[in-house]
Amino acid sequence: MIQQRLESFLQKRKCTLLGVGPMSVNCVDAAIELSNEHEVPILLIASRRQIDSKEFGGGYVNNWTTEEFARYVIDHDKKGKLLLARDHGGPWQNTQEVIENLSLRRAMESAKASYRADLEAGFQILHIDPSIDVHGQPDVDEVLDRIFELYEYCWSQAQQLGQDVIFEIGTEEQSGSTNSQEELDYTLNAVQQFCKKYRLPQPTFVVIQCGTRVMETRNVGSFDSPVRVADELPAEIQLPKMIEICNRYGIFMKEHNTDYLSDEALQWHPRLGIHAANVAPEFGVAETRALLSVLEANNLAGLSERFLQIAHASNKWNKWMLPATQATDRDRAIIAGHYVFSTPECVALKEEANRALASKGINLDQYLRQQVKNSILRYLRNFRLVRST
Amino acid sequence: MKRVATIILNRNLPAVTDSLCRHLIHHDGDLTDVFVVEAGSDTERLSTHTSWHADWPDALAHGLRYSRGMNHGLSQLWKEGKFKQYDAFFLLTNDTELQTSATVGPLMNVLDQHPRVGILSPCAERWGERLLLKDQSTKYFWFIHNNAYLLRREFVEAILNQHQPNHMGFVFDGSNFRGYGAESELIAKAYANDWAAAITSEVWAMENESHLLTQADLIKTEGYKENLQLYVEEGRSWMRHKYGFNSRWSMQQYVKCFYDKFFEFHPEFSSYQI
Repeated sequence: MIQQRLESFLQKRKCTLLGVGPMSVNCVDAAIELSNEHEVPILLIASRRQIDSKEFGGGYVNNWTTEEFARYVIDHDKKGKLLLARDHGGPWQNTQEVIENLSLRRAMESAKASYRADLEAGFQILHIDPSIDVHGQPDVDEVLDRIFELYEYCWSQAQQLGQDVIFEIGTEEQSGSTNSQEELDYTLNAVQQFCKKYRLPQPTFVVIQCGTRVMETRNVGSFDSPVRVADELPAEIQLPKMIEICNRYGIFMKEHNTDYLSDEALQWHPRLGIHAANVAPEFGVAETRALLSVLEANNLAGLSERFLQIAHASNKWNKWMLPATQATDRDRAIIAGHYVFSTPECVALKEEANRALASKGINLDQYLRQQVKNSILRYLRNFRLVRST
Repeated sequence: MKRVATIILNRNLPAVTDSLCRHLIHHDGDLTDVFVVEAGSDTERLSTHTSWHADWPDALAHGLRYSRGMNHGLSQLWKEGKFKQYDAFFLLTNDTELQTSATVGPLMNVLDQHPRVGILSPCAERWGERLLLKDQSTKYFWFIHNNAYLLRREFVEAILNQHQPNHMGFVFDGSNFRGYGAESELIAKAYANDWAAAITSEVWAMENESHLLTQADLIKTEGYKENLQLYVEEGRSWMRHKYGFNSRWSMQQYVKCFYDKFFEFHPEFSSYQI
């Protein structure tokens, strides 16, 4: 049902589907409003660090558990346009599993519990990504074995629950390298054989490294680069080859780390045949910048300074930094902003800001939501999901 | 008679250029004549191997860059009646670094084994393309971003403009000064004329960008960042005016069409298709 719905939409619109990272409540609301206003499907792609089930302590986005998040979206999505998607589900994809240094079997059990909660909550797209292993780098066949185990588990659970679900596979993320054609061909062939043998549906999406890589607030991959990126195949070569292989297997190609690409690069996504693309941190950064700008424009510099301190102290910017970074402390705080929106200090700070801005006739969350909507709209327009005029 | 004319482009870096010349003469001297184009170099900073000095005011002020520089070298060979004595032309910028063994010989072997290859580029150790050349060392591509090309004479003859044997329009389009998109135009012309463009891992070559990063003032060019920005801006404007393309992706699709057609008409080369 979901598969047919997406196939038919893609065929009619000749568009690229958008996956939006639920970076905050405002970001989730912005995605819901846009999908309902324009009657287009949007995939809400929650990583396990953002949203996870109660037994894993929820995630950093509004401290939501999987159940609470799904309930919120389902209740607010009046026209049923949103698709709830698990992004990078799998073993050691939750910080707690890494901290506890779980063994493979325990991490797989943990991943299954998380997927079970996803299905019970009503998630419709599950990304099976067992590429992380804190005990060493698994080879392609090991990753495939783990995919098969999780895939079969999720499908049987979905059947038990009577839940319609589609799958996304893909074995690497932000590695900076490109999957080789041979590796993609091998993976898709193995998955196809497995699905045939066990009478399971084929996966709908496969993650392809398209030459996109996010660092700081830029896309530093080869997709948008006029010069060579060391050790990467130029996107001009990589993309057509990967699309050709995906088309041969009848699987949709999904791009990750699409953030900060230029309008020109985005406009070419539908034409190049990229079926779907994920964007996440850019929307969080858009909200943080909007928050700082509205505070600073309304003589609330003290509050913006406090927010910057909280964000900077979180150190959540660390993993996004380029090796020879020239980022200022403010830049770093902006990168980390959305990670701290739900901390008690930040919630208190926002309440204070709300009161101060309300006296000037500004509804803070409405303003922030609008800025995030503008940021999402750039993608919807360039992907032909929403007409430009 | 030597089979190859190597043309090296220099601007004010005589030591770097001379070192490359010596390398080629030492390892490939039996196969290639080496020519140096001085792209508006100062008279006191000429290579000891200088063949032609582009010293008109505009060249002195702005240099020639790849397209104009190579046009100048190739058109000089044409005017001097030497063009037809060579089987191929090896076009290099002076910042090219080659492996410490023969380069031209192995490249010519590849050219001899691939009768429809008009453009041949050595691979570099840090190019992603090396992944595609693991089982077969030579494959045909629709996109090659490089500053080192071996061009077969017959291919060059198919596209040269004998009415304009000068730095502006002999083989490359000199109006695209910094050359963004120029490689795609050259490759499109190759496939459109039934010639293929290949990369080989039989030999390696790399561009040492440190000269551009650290000696931009000596080369009399803009700094790396500004140069990159102008390279894209000017190239996009050229692409728009000449082809009506507003994106490099349009150019790519254009080239890829010719590439795909080539294999329709030459199924015998399908094993070299990427």
